[in-house]
Amino acid sequence: MLRTGHAHQWETARQSCQLLVFSVGGRRLAVKTLDVSGISQWNESIPIAGLTPFVTAVVRQGQTVLPVFDLAASLHLTVHGNSLLCLRVKHPLGEMVMCIDEEIPVLHTFDLSVIQTYHGKDLPAEGSYTNGLDEIPILSVSRLGSTV
Amino acid sequence: MDVREPMRGIPSPTFSSRFLIVTLGGRYLALSAESLCGLLIPEETGNIDNQTVHGKVYGAINLADRLSLPNDQGGANTRIVLLSEREARGSIRVTTVHGLLELQQSQVLPLPMQFSGPERHWYRGMILFAKSIALILNTTWILHQQVSDLEGSGTGRHA
Repeated sequence: MLRTGHAHQWETARQSCQLLVFSVGGRRLAVKTLDVSGISQWNESIPIAGLTPFVTAVVRQGQTVLPVFDLAASLHLTVHGNSLLCLRVKHPLGEMVMCIDEEIPVLHTFDLSVIQTYHGKDLPAEGSYTNGLDEIPILSVSRLGSTV
Repeated sequence: MDVREPMRGIPSPTFSSRFLIVTLGGRYLALSAESLCGLLIPEETGNIDNQTVHGKVYGAINLADRLSLPNDQGGANTRIVLLSEREARGSIRVTTVHGLLELQQSQVLPLPMQFSGPERHWYRGMILFAKSIALILNTTWILHQQVSDLEGSGTGRHA
């Protein structure tokens, strides 16, 4: 369920990083592919009454139950599309999932030199890169839920 | 062989627990059978909040309110569950009672660590149930407010 970014098919040994670029509420975000454990269709989440910000549901995938981080809500956005996707990521506390737009995520390989500091305060980021006029933040999965 | 020595080749005993599965506010919840004292239908209670059964008062606890769930108890399947733990007693209204489920301890899943708020004290874990999950409620937490109320009133509540 991935497309490859043909414009960025170059790679320099030990100086590149692979990113998965996806959309939430029409906003493009990136995440390191090493932090991703899967992408699938989004199934209905099961709400959990609680007070943890943006962690208010789980999804059941077979015998596995995973917490949902509501990335869209944390960014004050609403996911787009009728066939939403489930991005499964590796978090230090255990795998968790996020609901993302139906737009198919794209794999990109970047030279590390294009990665810059992300100055935004709206999400935890490991950096960002520029695509045209857009600055695409690279999500820091390990800090999701702790600093947002 | 010392009788206290574990026997090899024989599986260690597995501990099972029983849970009453109920629905409240559209969510499956599980209550430890060890805390169950009875089930009443609202008609039996005369619509009195605090239930007195065999001389013991089970103060009404609004669990839907405490969990911020929709108050949907009022249908034909509504039941009142009587709970007790040590000296604490209370009653909760639930939308539906699905029945008892016996599970091995290994079938009880922990609440994911990403849930870091007070809800970690509300639930004791999760159970796979139907195509969903049932959250195991912490009876101590449910009855805690009841104990506080009783201590605050000094004499307790009466039906």
